[in-house]
Amino acid sequence: MKERLIRLTAIVFAVLCVGFVLFPFFLMLSISLQTMSEVYAPSPVLIPKVPQFENYVKAMQNGNWARYFLNSALVTVVVTAISLVINSMAGYVFARLKFRGSRVLFLLVLTGMMIPPQVTMIPLFSLLRGMPFVGGNNWLGQGGIGLYNSYAGLIIPFLAGSFGVFLCRQFYIGFPKELDDAARMDGCGPFDAFLKIYLPLSGPVLASLGVLKFTGTWNEYTWPLIMTNSDKLKTVQLALTVFRNESEILWNQLMAATFLVSLAIYIVFIFAQKHFVAGLLSGSVKG
Amino acid sequence: MLAPFFAFFSVFMLYPIVINFYYSFTNYRLGQKKQFVWLNNYKNLFKDPDFLVSLKNTAVYALFSVLFLTCLGLFISVILNRRTRMVHAVRTVMIIPYATSMVAVSMIWLLLLDPTTGFINKALIALGMNVPPKWLHDVKLALPSLIFINVWKNLGYVMLIYLSGLQNIPGELYEAATVDGAGLWHKFRRITLPMIAPTAFFVLITTSIEAFKTFEQVQIMTQGAPVNATSTVVYQIYQRAFNDYRMGYAGAMSVVLFLVILAVTLVNVFWMKKNEEKNIW
Repeated sequence: MKERLIRLTAIVFAVLCVGFVLFPFFLMLSISLQTMSEVYAPSPVLIPKVPQFENYVKAMQNGNWARYFLNSALVTVVVTAISLVINSMAGYVFARLKFRGSRVLFLLVLTGMMIPPQVTMIPLFSLLRGMPFVGGNNWLGQGGIGLYNSYAGLIIPFLAGSFGVFLCRQFYIGFPKELDDAARMDGCGPFDAFLKIYLPLSGPVLASLGVLKFTGTWNEYTWPLIMTNSDKLKTVQLALTVFRNESEILWNQLMAATFLVSLAIYIVFIFAQKHFVAGLLSGSVKG
Repeated sequence: MLAPFFAFFSVFMLYPIVINFYYSFTNYRLGQKKQFVWLNNYKNLFKDPDFLVSLKNTAVYALFSVLFLTCLGLFISVILNRRTRMVHAVRTVMIIPYATSMVAVSMIWLLLLDPTTGFINKALIALGMNVPPKWLHDVKLALPSLIFINVWKNLGYVMLIYLSGLQNIPGELYEAATVDGAGLWHKFRRITLPMIAPTAFFVLITTSIEAFKTFEQVQIMTQGAPVNATSTVVYQIYQRAFNDYRMGYAGAMSVVLFLVILAVTLVNVFWMKKNEEKNIW
């Protein structure tokens, strides 16, 4: 009797939670298919009479959306790919190679994880804007705009994060030491050992890190807001806010665009949900 | 093998951290010569009404976000804590808002909370309320609305962490307690709570750090309005640095923010340590 009551409560809460989370998304989809008179109707419309699929077409014609998607895709793919390479190598070094000062360096990496990006935001901006020899700058980094309004400016700061190094180190530290001994017997140097033994076994950690980096970069708003002002470099998140700034907000188109922008994340999520969850959880386990 | 990472890390992470402290002692404006002004920025900061009210708003936002996420998250997770396919599915669905960008989430809630076109007020009117609240346009309700949205977005993440912590508690403990005739509350108080405390602590720290950094909601939904009721510290940093180009002054704000986050984290760590020693759980 008591057991059944507990199970019932769990089911009720589960339904409530799912409804609480999904209802706003349902409204987003519903409104993206409504006419503006349905949006403005005094009583809420839950299901549009005739689904207005052309809202999606109109939303994508409101600005150069092909370009925005391309920009976001480019930045996201490059950041994810480069991060995976440099973070896994650094993680391997911290897990396996002991050298003078390696502990201090790792401590610095941990500090980097705890620093809020707002602390580095302003100097990073002047540093990238004052980059010598690019964007019309002279050798002192003056006279031009440096990496302001450039892809490099959007990509570089996200390669410096240290969460990935930490994640990879935690993963590699669990590998049996015998692997290294075997590699040494066969005459492999540390880099060969990494390439031939560690990397082929890195699937799970690279998948987790990749999914987290992908979502994080795709969803980023603040840095592109600071680093660009040209329509040519607009990312999808910035482009969404353009609807907001118009005098009359076309809610149906805005919701259509919001759904399309989030779709990339949901597609990744459907295929890699397991790795996403694993990545979030591995950040929470202390070790 | 360490070189590529450390090149990026030292130039674009360590160097900016250090130089930011230096900037905060100068009158640096973009494109102008810097002068060392000692503590002037900090002195002005604590006379700046916009900054002070933002500091207060940020503290309120963080306090309530953290309170709801840590406690409500634990409450729901404890009720849902079973190894069934249903719970697994719920966990997956709940993580969707967390994976969605804050921009998208803000847009959805901007519409839902709109005083005339939003679903919430239309529903309230249909239920017979004559003058429904103006939510984001109401001085008293704007900040609570932002807190609610933050809780909605992050609840799934918190539950994910809690559920994984709860499922690591050995089932034998509960069985032994049942044999001893312990009730539900007793089991929660004597087994669940002490065993989940480190997880709760992790949730507390991460959610409070995130809450102190809140910016995107403000920039997209309210721009600090009405009358600074939703202005936060990071929103002020952004305004001063990238609208007024007062980099030195904004730098001082970011140092204050950093110290606040550091202090909150340290206080929590000490509090946790003390409780562990006393074993009051």
